[in-house]
Amino acid sequence: MECVFGLVGNGFSILVADTSAVHSILVHKSNEDKIMVLDSHKLIAASGESGDRVQFTEFIQKNVSLYQFRNGIPLTTAAAANFTRGELATALRKSPYMVNILMAGFDKETGPSLYYLDYIATLHKVDKAAFGLVVAPPNFVIKIVDKDGAREHAWRETVKHETTAPPSA
Amino acid sequence: MKLDLSGLESTVPHFGTSDGLSHGFPTAPSFDLPITGDFDGFQKEAIQMVKPAKGTTTLAFIFKEGVMVAADSRASMGGYISSQSVKKIIEINPHMLGTMAGGAADCQFWHRNLGIKCRLHELANKRRISVTGASKLLANILYSYRGMGLSVGTMIAGWDETGPGLYYVDSEGGRLKGTRFSVGSGSPYAYGVLDSGYRFDMSVEEAAELARRAIYHATFRDGASGGVASVYHVGPTGWTKMSGDDVGELHYKYYPVTPSTVEQEMGEVSGA
Amino acid sequence: MSIFEYNGSALVAMVGKNCFAIASDRRLGVQLQTIATDFQRIYQIHDRLFIGISGLATDAQTLYQRLVFRHKLYELREERDMKPETFASLVSALLYEKRFGPYFCQPVIAGLGDDDKPFICTMDAIGAKELAKDFVVAGSASESLYGACEAMFKPDMEPEELFETVSQALQASVDRDCLSGWGGHVYVVTPTEVKERILKGRMD
Repeated sequence: MECVFGLVGNGFSILVADTSAVHSILVHKSNEDKIMVLDSHKLIAASGESGDRVQFTEFIQKNVSLYQFRNGIPLTTAAAANFTRGELATALRKSPYMVNILMAGFDKETGPSLYYLDYIATLHKVDKAAFGLVVAPPNFVIKIVDKDGAREHAWRETVKHETTAPPSA
Repeated sequence: MKLDLSGLESTVPHFGTSDGLSHGFPTAPSFDLPITGDFDGFQKEAIQMVKPAKGTTTLAFIFKEGVMVAADSRASMGGYISSQSVKKIIEINPHMLGTMAGGAADCQFWHRNLGIKCRLHELANKRRISVTGASKLLANILYSYRGMGLSVGTMIAGWDETGPGLYYVDSEGGRLKGTRFSVGSGSPYAYGVLDSGYRFDMSVEEAAELARRAIYHATFRDGASGGVASVYHVGPTGWTKMSGDDVGELHYKYYPVTPSTVEQEMGEVSGA
Repeated sequence: MSIFEYNGSALVAMVGKNCFAIASDRRLGVQLQTIATDFQRIYQIHDRLFIGISGLATDAQTLYQRLVFRHKLYELREERDMKPETFASLVSALLYEKRFGPYFCQPVIAGLGDDDKPFICTMDAIGAKELAKDFVVAGSASESLYGACEAMFKPDMEPEELFETVSQALQASVDRDCLSGWGGHVYVVTPTEVKERILKGRMD
């Protein structure tokens, strides 16, 4: 089952996604990256139909970049999330994208944030969230994160292996 | 396998002779057939009517000191909460417990029936039935009714001569021996807490707290679970009820909030 | 399960003496799974006008954004706030626009008119207005809300009593509904002030 989740910690937010591309019972690929870099402080993770997932997240990524090129300043995470919702909501009644999205970001003013955006374009700012398959049994993840709340965790406790952040887009 | 209808037998001795005087009184008990042309349709509808207790969270696990069993207490029909005080842990006898998920009537009836069978075994053999045996009795009955619409998802937990025992039995014919189970719509959430907090060498208090927390978290995330989190412990001397906490209060025990009133700023339209 | 009950919601508005209260639950769910317990279903349009939108959360958000847009245009052109009656007609018009592919929402509108007269109304997904003098309810807990409000409502309540009544009705109702609850959000509006309160509730 596809699994994407994320949480907000003290001064950071993280996204996690599995890396398998599965069609019915076949695993086509086991190193598919479902987390996309929007800019130096924004990430978007998506689950859902693979075609829609790639098409939609790339579309959002390019438009967020375009905004930055045109205006010289990046969108805030809230703005990017609301833009994404707008696009998803407009598409919903034409040809819907079957994608569930988690957007994580860090802004100077507001600090870390995480946005939940499901395939019918319900947007909500959250501390923790998880997606499984669209029509799948609810997943385990939310509970594990819930147990003692995430915010109090320090960096090292939440992330065991650190890798360098990708260069800014 | 022959259909086991013994559970439907009346406990009152049956008097009367089959000499024509008692026409209309069936000598062997059986199900009455409904007066309908469309039996399949009738059965489908009837199954829907007797399946109210769909949403549930129950769990049980074996640890150093015995078996811990816990459950919520909500009964729902669709979105409607029909009761917040259902007893989902059924006391089969002083050394054995059953949990209830699925159809309420099916679970209650067949657990009661199992209780009778266990007592009869005790009287006939002068020793208590094993958990293995009891769960097999139930599984065999449920298996004989397979495909007829029974809805039961249960765990049989107890202490017998071999120590603690735990089995999962369902109406699809499954019977699994194990050390950790959770059943019902809230089970994924309960498993999440249970798996991350479980250790075999817990004390009774630690285990009870883990079970309680798992049930509480399931009631928080699962709309169909709620009410009271009851926790039972089965040890060598039989079961004891550890606690029955209203999860409405439990939430604020785990996550206390300080009361504060937010004064609305006038004239500002709040963003979506 | 109905699409109106996909996210779960409970909404109620009640009239008091020269005041009104509008209250909602705080749950955002996806069927039986609870996603968040700090969701906003009641939106403030201006100082003395509120709209609560029950039903599908995505459509509630879209509808709200379109309403804010239209209200801002109105404010710029007319240089005054909208009357609750006018706003209700606007909501109704926006809903009927989507007659053959409706927003799956049931809005509740509550506001104070020019003469401090409270106004409450609800409408169905395609904009059929339903005005009421006492109370209106909406959402997946609407049946139990009808019962609770019918039993608890008294005419001409003062703001504090109104708050108590609305809160009790809301809490009692959501305790009989799987899909709503997890806390409450109450606004009590008088000619001079808006009081917002967050209710603690059963979190199951």
